[in-house]
Amino acid sequence: MAGATDAGVVREETSREETVAGATVGLAALLFALGLAAQFDLVSLTDEVAGFRTVTVLGGLLLGLGLAVVSFGAGSRLDLVQTDPDHSAGLIAGVLFTGIWFVVGGLVASQTLGLGGVGWVVVALVVGVVAFATTAIPREDVGSTLPAGALAIFFGLAMLTGAIGPSWSWTPANFPESQSVTFFPRVVVPVMVMFSSLVVGWAAAKAYGGFGARGRHLGAHLLIYLNALSIIVVLFVLVAFVFLKGIDPVAEGVAFGPGVGPETTLSFDLVIPFVDVTLFGVSHTVAWPVWWPFVMNGAAILNDVNGVWPAVVGTIWLVVGAVVLAVPLGVGSAIFLTEYAERGRFTQVVEVATNALWSTPSIVFGLFGAAFLVPRFTPQPKKSLLAGMITLGFMLLPLVLITSREAMIAVPDEYRDASAALGVSKWQTIRSVVLPAAMPGVVTGVILGVGRIAGETAPLILTMGGGTFVTAGQAASVVNSFELTLSPPFVTNPELTQATTALPYQLYQVILTGTGATAGVKDITAFGWGTALVLLVVVLSFYAIGIATRQYFRSKLQYE
Amino acid sequence: MVNKRTASQWRTAGRRRIAAARDFVEETDPDALVVGAIGTVALFGAFVGFLLTSSYTSIAFVVFLASVGYGWWRHQELTARGVTLAMTVASSLILVLILAFIVLEAWPVIRYETSELLGIPVPGLGAFTSTSWDPRSNPNSFSMLPMIHGTLLVTAIATLVAGPLGVAAALFLSEIAPPVVREFVKPGVEILAGIPSIVYGFIGFVIIGPWVSDRFAIVGQGTYLFVGIVVGLMALPTVVSVAEDAINSVPEPMKSGSLAMGTTDWQTMTTITIPAAFSGVSAAVLLGVGRAIGETMAATVMLRNEPKIGEPLYNVFYGFETLTSVVANKYGSAVGLQESALYLAGIILFVSVLLLSVGSQLIEAHMHRKLGGAE
Repeated sequence: MAGATDAGVVREETSREETVAGATVGLAALLFALGLAAQFDLVSLTDEVAGFRTVTVLGGLLLGLGLAVVSFGAGSRLDLVQTDPDHSAGLIAGVLFTGIWFVVGGLVASQTLGLGGVGWVVVALVVGVVAFATTAIPREDVGSTLPAGALAIFFGLAMLTGAIGPSWSWTPANFPESQSVTFFPRVVVPVMVMFSSLVVGWAAAKAYGGFGARGRHLGAHLLIYLNALSIIVVLFVLVAFVFLKGIDPVAEGVAFGPGVGPETTLSFDLVIPFVDVTLFGVSHTVAWPVWWPFVMNGAAILNDVNGVWPAVVGTIWLVVGAVVLAVPLGVGSAIFLTEYAERGRFTQVVEVATNALWSTPSIVFGLFGAAFLVPRFTPQPKKSLLAGMITLGFMLLPLVLITSREAMIAVPDEYRDASAALGVSKWQTIRSVVLPAAMPGVVTGVILGVGRIAGETAPLILTMGGGTFVTAGQAASVVNSFELTLSPPFVTNPELTQATTALPYQLYQVILTGTGATAGVKDITAFGWGTALVLLVVVLSFYAIGIATRQYFRSKLQYE
Repeated sequence: MVNKRTASQWRTAGRRRIAAARDFVEETDPDALVVGAIGTVALFGAFVGFLLTSSYTSIAFVVFLASVGYGWWRHQELTARGVTLAMTVASSLILVLILAFIVLEAWPVIRYETSELLGIPVPGLGAFTSTSWDPRSNPNSFSMLPMIHGTLLVTAIATLVAGPLGVAAALFLSEIAPPVVREFVKPGVEILAGIPSIVYGFIGFVIIGPWVSDRFAIVGQGTYLFVGIVVGLMALPTVVSVAEDAINSVPEPMKSGSLAMGTTDWQTMTTITIPAAFSGVSAAVLLGVGRAIGETMAATVMLRNEPKIGEPLYNVFYGFETLTSVVANKYGSAVGLQESALYLAGIILFVSVLLLSVGSQLIEAHMHRKLGGAE
């Protein structure tokens, strides 16, 4: 025991044992990476390394790791190495190891030994109980290394002896033929390697820290850092993957230069309503200096490059419509709840309702839109752009409300008091003091919310979506389509009450139809990746702008 | 702390309300009162007109706008208050409307699936006692069990992914990460939430699906296991941000006190921070579960879209249908009772997520009361 001398939490020197334990952690990390590479076929299991098959090499490494970790525990227990372990590895480690060994024992008993219903349960229970006893009862150094090392040794031996060799496979017998599944070594071996190297790495990190408080600290930090790292890696891989797959179709045929782009005619006619007399008209045509066919084209047989222009237009209109509906409603409600209403039952109920609305599944909003909105804009129930806008507006509303409210609550009361002391009325105070101070928070909330709804698909399927591949001519031209009539409702807009498409909906249609032959889309998968990339760029730019705005204002505005 | 009021207390409270209202009427300009009344009636009329698909809806709405405009010109203070109140009511009404409309649409199938329990007919029970979804044969049957089974499996797997990883990431962000690393990881987690579900679905459909079928020699394409993993990844940011808030709300003096005793920061986390924030962290996991239940597009495009229950029950390698995917898939082609059955799936989703949301809010409120002491 180290307690008598200088067993501090902080150590300055690195001992030989610590170096070995550190090297073990490094080896475990290397094995984990190897396992990951093998899972994605970057390393073949049947290739030979120095005359041995990769499986055998991996098995040998696992065996060595396991033995090393067990020897750390034994060395510490026999006081060959100076450590300061606790009296037990703890209940949580015990339960986790019980679970792991229960599964291992159960699988071996039922599948390898072929024991029946009661038999394998008994074996699994016995193995689990032994694992629990080994973890929880002895001192921490043994309790946290022995079950971990044993797992690596067991897996390593299975691979070394060829029990799980290249020709091995396992098909659970109780799965019906039509729903059968087979486990091949190319899946199982990498999983075994990755899992056991994680467990062994944790145990080795504990040993590196000399067990006890410092050992636990290191072991836990290893896993938590690994977790954070893998989240970021997954994010990066996802975005990079979509980018690499989508950049070719998106960039096809892009041209710059004066006059290469499509022509846009800006025209304005002043017409007297109801009698159709044009007073005067202006019209001017400009050609864009950019030609970006994937974004500026629709889909048509004669196109060189088929594109998603109508979907882009649809998404823009959806966002505009949702913002026009949700922002006034959300900000207005937030003003009432924060400034006028007394805190009590009413505000509490509204708060709970808003949060509940925020977590309501998007498909439920879609059903609601289909039942509440779709039948009401045209004589016959028809999916329409307007229904899609309002449905997405309803989805945006709770986020706008919540963030605006938070922003308004964060405005210090001194501001309000100072304004009130000047004899200014309440509404004046809200308008000229509270709202400007809360504006950054509101704007950030709206931008992030827009990012979320711009990628929303499910409600559009039920309320707005129409057309698989849409030609450029069918892009919604909302502005030019307002018509005044003499009978109620006086203003109509056929474009708003018509089904149209949007980027996420277009991507769904690509998956659903699986072929673009009718519209002249040759490679439907490439078209899909292109659509996914455009959608991702649109949505992520909203997020990037939102997050950047927030960082900017946060560094600028510190109320306290 | 149940606040029980006696009848007489209610009566006094009511009387006070009426008195306050009378004072308000007496003090306010009659002109403002009239305009306010007109506006209120017009708004209500517009709502009713909208429900009845009347073409006069727009007239009522224009009257409302006109009254607001007049009020704004003459009595800005009162109008602002009234309009923001109307907005609050409208916002809160949406939740009620959602429930009302999906129940209304689901009613035919609830009546159709009536079956007897102890001799008493219970509407809708049939959808939970049989296991077959068959809109073609006669008689039809619309069991929700296959979809509930799918949703349960997907949600369980997603929770196993999002729960531990999310809580660990939240700990990392709020307690462990150096400020520079934090500045990168936190926006990263948020952006993960921003990737549209259909993009996850597309990757799942084009890449993961065929890969899994090949690896595991599966017949066809679509597994609950990998849908669950993808959905877990999508629920992860929710868990991280809510759990991080909970961990941050543990008062700093509690942690400092522990650290001053000479503990490592991991010891402080396990003995002080996590126990104190435990209810908040579990609320975060509950919200994550809610997100996983409601996730639609990834499930829709990655599953097989035939409502049936896998064999054996825990066979996660074959994915058929969830409550969300059945709606996204069948809406449009379904008519009559089948369409109504989709609304029944919507009710199940709505109610279960509502309960989770309210539950997690109650837990959070409880935690704030406990940690904040008397506010």
